[in-house]
Amino acid sequence: MIEIIQISRGGSGGVTGAKILAEAAMNEGLDSQAIPKYGSERRGAAVEAYIRFDTSPIRIHSPVYDPDHAMVLDSSLLDRIDISKVDKDGVIIINSKEVPEELKGTGRKVAYVDATGISQELGLVLSGFTLVNMTMLGAFVKGTDIISFENLEKAIIRYWGEKRAPKNVEAAKRAYEETKVVIA
Amino acid sequence: MVVKQETKSMTGNDAASYAALYAKPEVIAAYPITPQTTIVENLSRYVDAGILDAEFIIVESEHSALAACMGAAWSGVRTFTATSSQGLLYMAENVFWSGYGRLPIIMPVVNRCLAPGWNIWPDFQDSMAFRDAGWIQMYTKNNQEVFDTVLQSFKITEDKEIALPSMPCLDGFVISHTTGQVDLPDAEDAYEFVGPYDDPIIEIDVDNPWAFGPMTGPDLYAKNRRDLMAAMERAKKKIVSVHKEFDERFGRSYGNGLVEPYGDDEADLTLVTLGTIGDESQEAIDRLKAEGHNVNALRVRTFRPFPFEDIIEFAKKNHKLAVIDRAVSFGHEGPLRIEVEAVLKRFNVDTEITGQIMGIGGEDVSYSKIIDYAKKELKE
Repeated sequence: MIEIIQISRGGSGGVTGAKILAEAAMNEGLDSQAIPKYGSERRGAAVEAYIRFDTSPIRIHSPVYDPDHAMVLDSSLLDRIDISKVDKDGVIIINSKEVPEELKGTGRKVAYVDATGISQELGLVLSGFTLVNMTMLGAFVKGTDIISFENLEKAIIRYWGEKRAPKNVEAAKRAYEETKVVIA
Repeated sequence: MVVKQETKSMTGNDAASYAALYAKPEVIAAYPITPQTTIVENLSRYVDAGILDAEFIIVESEHSALAACMGAAWSGVRTFTATSSQGLLYMAENVFWSGYGRLPIIMPVVNRCLAPGWNIWPDFQDSMAFRDAGWIQMYTKNNQEVFDTVLQSFKITEDKEIALPSMPCLDGFVISHTTGQVDLPDAEDAYEFVGPYDDPIIEIDVDNPWAFGPMTGPDLYAKNRRDLMAAMERAKKKIVSVHKEFDERFGRSYGNGLVEPYGDDEADLTLVTLGTIGDESQEAIDRLKAEGHNVNALRVRTFRPFPFEDIIEFAKKNHKLAVIDRAVSFGHEGPLRIEVEAVLKRFNVDTEITGQIMGIGGEDVSYSKIIDYAKKELKE
């Protein structure tokens, strides 16, 4: 089983992104799950979501405590994730122009991309919030190599429909191409 | 032969909406406010888009939502609504009215805990408060089972020999808002399974006037309640047969439809559960067995009618039952434990019984917590 923790800010589309990632995994032939963690979160507040993939049916319903990978949609939320709990061979996928200071020298595998920049260039902004969810899915696919880009694309198109899909696919594709994977 | 199905990714609420869509209810009534669910929100979209030909009645409260469903059920049409938590409480009077009135209404309940302490996470306090309302209650373990159970509910409830409303229950959040995979049959195959509701249990006929809900003296009243008890007994067999027919057509089963055993027939410790804790327990059992512990599980899928025969049969072969409850009867114990313990006594089964209340207010019940609990019980 592969377990992922995602952290984002309310309004940036993290919960929707988690759902689409689960569907992309399904397209890959895996059983999958996306659990949003709602509470009194509002726009701008930190929101967690958990995603699981497995080759057999998933019977676990709990939040993810010991993730294989971590996705950080806003680099200012990196400190909200206990990196020591992330599998040592796992990837930290982060929306950042460079490897964050906190991760330098840790020996962790980091996949980073300027998702905010890509999304803003493509006009993926809603009510003042930059929607980095689809962009970061492209980075996830590149960084972890679990799901093919085609299966991600299929899930994005299914979710957004023919009309709204192109921009979202473009965001994921650019991130897929621009994400750098390094050992920090 | 099992029909063709397509795996889709959706939330538990979506799964309930699909089952309702495929069963083609003619009337849906709902009050659109938190904690109403996306179950009816989806259905309102289907009606708006012309995918579902139903009367969607937006009412002014949850109490009225069920009242509208009662009127629709009396008029002899397939009727659906959904609710949750405070909304279910607000319906209270009509929940009992429709149960005791034997009205064929399908109403999934998204189990969320009750105020005060505003909290949107799961426990079973809401539906457990309606244990005695004359509704069939089935608790599901995952998104797939939500679809399957809602679909089966129409067939059970609308049987003339049964005529009891159904409350398929799904853990708030853990199922309702979690995305997972559901194998969906074609709409036609699903509808063929449910069948049309063309020979209604009751139907208002203006040319043949009846009195509905008149003054009823003790004799007739008591007879009505005895009839309800007998219908609940018959419902057990009906649940089993509908579940079997479903399995033959769609290739999925949950024990016999009443209870779902997991693991070996005989063990040192048996975990007895409801809802998603049952799914999580299967994970716990596998891990405990890998460590050499002899444990199994029994998930009570149907809580009303209470399948005491199946529980007794399983209990007899086992040594100790550990019941996990996600609700409390304040001043006593968890409701599932109370009931299981009562039937053990009634049938002189000397299997030891204990219990633990877990997951109140959405407190996480992970397999590791279940493992810790099971180990504690194995030691004692």
